Amino acid sequence: MSASRLGPDVAVGDDLPVLAQVATLRTSVAYAGASGDLNPLHYDPAVAAEVSPTGNVIAHGMYSMGLASRVVAGWAGGPDRVARLEVRFTRPWPLGSEATFGGTVKEVADDRVVVGMWGKDADGKAMLRGTAVLRRRLSAGDGGGTLD
Amino acid sequence: MAGIGRVYPAWTHRVSRAKVHEYARALGEDDPRYLADDDTCVAPPTFAATFTLIPAAEALIGDDGLGATWNLVHGGQAYEYGPRPLQPGDELTCTARIADIRSRRGTDALTVEVDCRYTADDERAVLSTGTIVFFDDQSDGDGGGEA
Repeated sequence: MSASRLGPDVAVGDDLPVLAQVATLRTSVAYAGASGDLNPLHYDPAVAAEVSPTGNVIAHGMYSMGLASRVVAGWAGGPDRVARLEVRFTRPWPLGSEATFGGTVKEVADDRVVVGMWGKDADGKAMLRGTAVLRRRLSAGDGGGTLD
Repeated sequence: MAGIGRVYPAWTHRVSRAKVHEYARALGEDDPRYLADDDTCVAPPTFAATFTLIPAAEALIGDDGLGATWNLVHGGQAYEYGPRPLQPGDELTCTARIADIRSRRGTDALTVEVDCRYTADDERAVLSTGTIVFFDDQSDGDGGGEA
């Protein structure tokens, strides 16, 4: 488990580490199998030509949310720190292109930190926008509460 | 589309360690707890997608009163978590409910809540709130924008 960054040094405006990922047929098939979402829009060019908003194969929205959440939970110290995640998918992610994922601290309170999550496409346009609410204290019995 | 408030039959799900590992690997996760072979194993935050998204979509598409088809995109998603991450062995009871429907020309955006509770004590494990945009079959997905 990585160390939590939710201690006394966290401040509004802090940037989370940025994750870059190229979506490929391999990543898309792996996510389809792992999630059970076998919609051929995400791996079959013939189907995508008919139904895709871009005419091409695009990654699962949930794959992009999974990567954005990986950034946030990794920074926060693990999934037990995550109280709430909310995203909107604002642009498709075509296979073969790189996207980046990151976040910025928006609010620091006694018991929680709120992070604005983002995902951008290869042109820097917003692909995903959202919010994560993170727990600064873990509940009793789950491995201790205080952060130093 | 009528149907706000409609509740679909509950399903159960048992979290498996192999699926947690597979899901974590698909995301390139490096937190060793996601890949652990012992009791320290926990699931990544979006793991609930593996047992909520498709059952909920199938319930909606199987509901003749809605007229929804697989011509759809995922517009947005939220998860509200219980006190701890999901772990292998957790037994969950999941119930899907239509929380909202917004119809525009050529599309119907359905907000679907899937309430996942520990079967043993009925405590909240995770609440999934997804917005699924269904296209009328003729419109061919020209609404654009969402992935």
